[in-house]
Amino acid sequence: MQKKKITDQNWFSVVCWLLLIVAAWEIGAIVVAHTKRSPENILPHLYQILAAALSSAKVSGGMTASRVVLSSAGATLFRALAGFILGMILGFGFALLMKLSGVIEKLAFPYLMLIQLIPVLGLAPIILAITGDINQSRIVIAAILSFYPVATNTLEGFKSVDKDKYDLMYTYAAKKSTIYTKVLIPTAIPYFFTGLKIAAPMAITASILVDTLQGDGGLGCMLSQSLKHAMSIYVFWLIVFFSAFIGIMSGYLMSWIERLVSPEYRGSRRAKAGKGGD
Amino acid sequence: MSETTEREKEITIEDLGVTFRDNAGNDVQALTGVNLDIYKGEFVSLLGPSGCGKTTLLRSVADLQEPTEGSIRISGMTPKEVRLEQKFGFVFQQPVLFNWRTVKKNVELPLEIMYYDKEERSKRADEMLEMVGLKEFANHFPRQLSGGMQQRVNIARAFGIRPEILLMDEPFSALDEFTKEKLHEDLLRIWRQTNKTVLFVTHNIQEAVFLSDRVCVLSPHPGRLSAVVDIDLPRPRRLDMKDTSHFNELVTKVRNSFEGGSL
Repeated sequence: MQKKKITDQNWFSVVCWLLLIVAAWEIGAIVVAHTKRSPENILPHLYQILAAALSSAKVSGGMTASRVVLSSAGATLFRALAGFILGMILGFGFALLMKLSGVIEKLAFPYLMLIQLIPVLGLAPIILAITGDINQSRIVIAAILSFYPVATNTLEGFKSVDKDKYDLMYTYAAKKSTIYTKVLIPTAIPYFFTGLKIAAPMAITASILVDTLQGDGGLGCMLSQSLKHAMSIYVFWLIVFFSAFIGIMSGYLMSWIERLVSPEYRGSRRAKAGKGGD
Repeated sequence: MSETTEREKEITIEDLGVTFRDNAGNDVQALTGVNLDIYKGEFVSLLGPSGCGKTTLLRSVADLQEPTEGSIRISGMTPKEVRLEQKFGFVFQQPVLFNWRTVKKNVELPLEIMYYDKEERSKRADEMLEMVGLKEFANHFPRQLSGGMQQRVNIARAFGIRPEILLMDEPFSALDEFTKEKLHEDLLRIWRQTNKTVLFVTHNIQEAVFLSDRVCVLSPHPGRLSAVVDIDLPRPRRLDMKDTSHFNELVTKVRNSFEGGSL
């Protein structure tokens, strides 16, 4: 058997990009270090950020920089998750409604996009005025942003069912509810997950962004405090890396869940178990 | 045939006409003045070039198409009544399988819709898959199968509901010759075992002659039934019958009964 070439390996492109980004970052950091007075505000070296993450120096309220990030991440991610789940349920439900009723689709679909076009920061004060509670409005905004990709992708999934399948169900004299549960919803599931993969990082971004509007914890809040030098600037850099990481991971998490629930995967697991491990 | 008079009529088609309205708003006559009786347990082909209305005729029988003139009665009932009693098996040109279901679960799908219990569903699906020679593939997914195997799943599914009438719309036209011949034999074997009435749409003359008791030749512009040719080849049919002069005579006879010039 021929040996797999290094360029064929799965991790090859990941490593390539990582090296490229690190190199570009460090070149930038070296330039900045030589030309600016406080380079850590603009582009610190990666090792400085790493050192800040591992350092035991207290930066705020007796907590190390990493503790600050992690403890505020909890609040932000919880709100993102709550909003995401809310958006997911509403998005799926609304897609179903639009599929069930052509009138609703005609009325609502063209305007759904408007929600997406309004900047989050513009939406935030309005939502805050309506809910009267900053935490609720953070969840609502994450929900609104998750809603759109889930709704549109799921609707597209419903529409992707071809005529032959409807005809087949018709010859079986299948009830409408049966057509939904046995054909339409299973067909839309992969599309639904495409929506979730887009929505998850958006919910996190929205949650962080809305944090910056008011105090009371959260990654965005720490981020703006750090930028205003209320605490070490490295908190800012840690949050940048942490939120990028969480955003990417949220997308991967959705792919992973999709794989777990996919019938192919469950089917192949059953087959393997049946054969006693193959 | 002496027993003709004793055979029970199953499908009666009288003066059937179907007119479509095309996109430009013009009426297009897809089918006109079709009269045809089909007997219980008979294998009848509807043969013709594209545009002759053969699929329209089949879909009218299945209640997938509303006739604009004339009537269809199936054992005294309308196509709609028969459909609502779930007595049709319909095989489309494409396999129309559900990718998230295993082969076996695909065969079970109509049985689920018809509220058969789990045990019965599983038993029948196994039986049908055995019949089409896909027993070992029961737990595969459709995407893992070749086109011919997918079409066999489709046929297994159609027979699984034990339909009174099996309607097939060019089920083998997308397959290669080798697969097609194999499936012809399979189909005839299953048909003989189950003794259902089969209405089979095709544009392939040899296929129609090889499979059928009678070939209904349809001609286009407007779509109409131009001839019905009895196929008196003995049953069971074997592939080597295609080499006999009688088979070729029948093919020629069918070909000559087309109206409307060269195809």
